[in-house]
Amino acid sequence: MWYLPVLIRNLLKGPATEAFPFAEAWTPPRMRGRIAFDPGSCALCRVCARICPAGAIQFEKRPDGLEFNLWHNSCVFCGLCTIYCESEGLHAIPDWHLSHYQDEKFDLVERAVVRFEKCSGCGKQKMPAPLPLMRKLYPGVDAKEMERLRALCPQCRKAGEQKGETP
Amino acid sequence: MSSYRIPVGPLHVALEEPMYFKVDVSGETVTAVEIVAGHAHRGIEYLVAKRNIHQNLVLTERVCSLCSNSHPFTYCMALEQIAGIVLPERAEYLRVIADEIKRIASNLFNVAITAHLVGFDTLFMQVMELREIMQDTKESIFGNRMDLGANRIGGVRYDLDADGRDYLAAQLRHVARELLEIRKIYEGDASFLRRTRGVGVLPAADAARLGLVGPVARASGIAADVRIKAPYAAYDRLAVEMQTGEDGDVWSRTLVRLREAGTAIAIIDQCLKDMPGGPVSIPSIPDIPAGEAIAKSEAPRGELIYYLRTDGSDKPERLKWRVPSFNNWSALPVMLKGARIADIALIVGSIDPCVSCTER
Repeated sequence: MWYLPVLIRNLLKGPATEAFPFAEAWTPPRMRGRIAFDPGSCALCRVCARICPAGAIQFEKRPDGLEFNLWHNSCVFCGLCTIYCESEGLHAIPDWHLSHYQDEKFDLVERAVVRFEKCSGCGKQKMPAPLPLMRKLYPGVDAKEMERLRALCPQCRKAGEQKGETP
Repeated sequence: MSSYRIPVGPLHVALEEPMYFKVDVSGETVTAVEIVAGHAHRGIEYLVAKRNIHQNLVLTERVCSLCSNSHPFTYCMALEQIAGIVLPERAEYLRVIADEIKRIASNLFNVAITAHLVGFDTLFMQVMELREIMQDTKESIFGNRMDLGANRIGGVRYDLDADGRDYLAAQLRHVARELLEIRKIYEGDASFLRRTRGVGVLPAADAARLGLVGPVARASGIAADVRIKAPYAAYDRLAVEMQTGEDGDVWSRTLVRLREAGTAIAIIDQCLKDMPGGPVSIPSIPDIPAGEAIAKSEAPRGELIYYLRTDGSDKPERLKWRVPSFNNWSALPVMLKGARIADIALIVGSIDPCVSCTER
């Protein structure tokens, strides 16, 4: 008896389910899907590999830098790495289309080599200083000065600050 | 009348989760029940001590799917207590919002399962469709249907801008409207009442004696709710209505859960109205010194307690939790005594059992 109004409304409304896979499934823009890596925004701090609960992120030594590997099949889509990455190099994107054939299972990797750089001051090898991270460290610095700072290693930056250079 | 001992479970008693009951029956009537646990033990308490505190945010969230937000929430409270971290006020409100959203979805799930167990599958589908609104809301705001990932040490991971607030408020209006309609069915439908009223009765004295928590205790008239008795996060600034039942049967437990979904909507409305601006988290990743702490919260199933001991390293020395379902299991021998065999699954389902929490 109590159910009749609901029943009639449901009949008029039609199916409540989605037609997937015959039509596109609704995906909200903030959906936490595949992790995308931007090598240009990596400071090689490797905090992501340390906090990844699934051990899906690994760094391999290469002659000129470190190779970032994120195994999508190990990833649990928690998005913790995107929170701990201070240089904003990791983002969860609303892509959940990760089905694949069995023999492709080792190909589902987010992989890129992040190269070491040379300090323009002392000439020694240094870690890259990506812009999003440097903006947090040196707020309000103009573009030209930022480029100069980014080319320096932390020791040379510190030495410059002690000498009274801006910032 | 002849007596038998029949096995119920371990697979798919009320839910898919495994629990084994050895039930003594005399004819159609249950005379005694023995519960055998341990089928879903995954050793998570051990795993937690092998991972660092940041990884454990995710591991605790995956202890249980239905109260997945309560676990990292309480874990964070324990960590913050040890490190003496004071949360930004906005973060406290956002934590409450996340927890109450989960409570609505969790309670609706159990209420739907109850309809399924009495054979009213049309109602089951209808309530699951209603719950789907909350699932969509969770996916839109947090990015996942079950594991919200809302908490971090010293704050939350998400924020609600003006659009987000409007969206959440609109979704809640939609749920509130349909919830009212669903409640009428649960309160008035004759066939549902016949199957649930006077079934699996738990007297208040037994609920107090066994130390039951959550909606199971409240449906027997025990007014206990951590959010009111020992407020945490922003609950001391929010009006939380205590929902209690009188009969202590399957029907009152169902109704308490439905009414609590309504209370949760009222709490989120207050949060959206009162929430101050400001940061949603402390600015940096904190160091956790050596220490120990106990934190508790009201999970959808009742009082959840976390005990945490740290030694100054980044791995917890010991993390132990007492989940609400652990207490509530002990109600089953009382509820099942004198019940009919056909009601066993219904009564087991009515304590909203969470085996994966209990056995982790």
